Amino acid sequence: MTASSYSFKSAFKSLAKEKWINILSTLTVGSSLLIITLAVFFLYNIEFIANHLPERFSMMAYLQDPISQEDTQKIIDTLRTRPEVLKVRYISKEEALLELKQTLKDSTHILEGLDENPLTSSIEIKLRKEFVTPATTSRMATEIKKMPGIDTIYYGERIAEAIHMLKRSVQNISIIIFLTISLGVVFVTYSTVKILFYRKKEEIEILKLLGATGSFIRAPFLIEGGVIGLFGGILGVAGAFVFYFAVTYRLSMVIPMLKTLIFPIGVLIALPFVGIILGVIGSAIAIGRIRLW
Amino acid sequence: MISFKNVSKFYDHNTVLKNVSFNIAKGEMAFITGPSGAGKSTLLKLMYMAELPDEGDITIESVHLSSLKMSEIPMLRRKIGVVFQDFKLINNLTVFDNVALALHIRGISEREIRAMASESLKRVNLRHLAESFPKSLSGGEQQRVAIARAIVGGPVVLLADEPTGNLDPGTALDIIMLFRELNDQGTTILIATHNRELLRNTDKKTLKLEGGTFVQEEIV
Repeated sequence: MTASSYSFKSAFKSLAKEKWINILSTLTVGSSLLIITLAVFFLYNIEFIANHLPERFSMMAYLQDPISQEDTQKIIDTLRTRPEVLKVRYISKEEALLELKQTLKDSTHILEGLDENPLTSSIEIKLRKEFVTPATTSRMATEIKKMPGIDTIYYGERIAEAIHMLKRSVQNISIIIFLTISLGVVFVTYSTVKILFYRKKEEIEILKLLGATGSFIRAPFLIEGGVIGLFGGILGVAGAFVFYFAVTYRLSMVIPMLKTLIFPIGVLIALPFVGIILGVIGSAIAIGRIRLW
Repeated sequence: MISFKNVSKFYDHNTVLKNVSFNIAKGEMAFITGPSGAGKSTLLKLMYMAELPDEGDITIESVHLSSLKMSEIPMLRRKIGVVFQDFKLINNLTVFDNVALALHIRGISEREIRAMASESLKRVNLRHLAESFPKSLSGGEQQRVAIARAIVGGPVVLLADEPTGNLDPGTALDIIMLFRELNDQGTTILIATHNRELLRNTDKKTLKLEGGTFVQEEIV
């Protein structure tokens, strides 16, 4: 048996000997990691929606009236060369009127008194989603407005701001939840390993006097913390699956919209690893630096 | 082998050792005597660096202990076998595992550990108790386990702190005989004891500590 296999044997012996404190810690870590998973689940779905909102976002550039076909084409060509632009669609005066009539449907009598088409031709500009930010849309609006032939531009700055704020909030909430609960998990393993460390103080002193290195003494505790984290992570995954099936199968019968929810499987795979990392960090802090004299 | 040069140790304002100097040659067996509180245990602790001297220089096998970094202390301790007054056995490990622990620390393979630990227990006549737990053993047997653990790694020097302190006179004599045998096999041994009965009829070097300093170096 090498020193490392001795460390594993020693860690598992201790896990079995101190089973109640270890089971309680594992349950606590499991519940905490389940909270992280559920938070990720909700935030992921909000982020998913927020990520798809920019696809519906567009800017409308209204052209001066009258404007020649060449000038219109020049504007379209210039817009198409911009890296932010995904799609450009020209809407003629006639098309605009047709669209208006379709929108008004039964109220087309409003337009009856008009001798000529009061609308101007326009260009609808769709942006790549990564450019749908308040700063970019505002800068683009200013630049497009300066282009010859453009009368006015409407770009729904409030929508761009709302999308941006929603995404930012989701990111911030994710970070806060992850950090807070991770700190909780670290604290749980820290407390458990600290207790075990104190219980074995005499044994550790003997190991030091026999010539054990700091890492030989530390290894079983780190393994113990890692195992608590691993099983906590597995418990978290199990809890998340129960939740997922409850939401998608049971609750979606009552609320069909829930069927569209997406469950980030990657998080489930990562959870035991996150547990191990947090467990080892907690243990490492609990043990601290081992002084050999 | 072991050299102390003007070594002093103070605790707060109390002098525990003052200008202590001595040499122990390779293969030698020596006793450090003196009343309780004379500084015997401190002197041994300085050798395996459980304590650090405030003054002076200690050399073991040409290594100046003051030059060692903290990361090098384990290597020093593996060269020194220590038999502690209170045995320092781990009660939830068997006799065999207690002895084997000193080898696990050294990263030795399981097969070698089995052979070496068995051999060490044989040397102290305890092979039949290998699977027992320390608490079920007598004081003398526990002391033998401690000795088996101290010698299992083949130390260059064996230190024993009051090895007969908790034992009846008959068992104490057995333990001293065991040390003599180990010394005859070539192990350098330094024993701290306040029991002058053990020194009767010995031809070994005896260093007497009193008030933290050697009062005489004698052959009893």
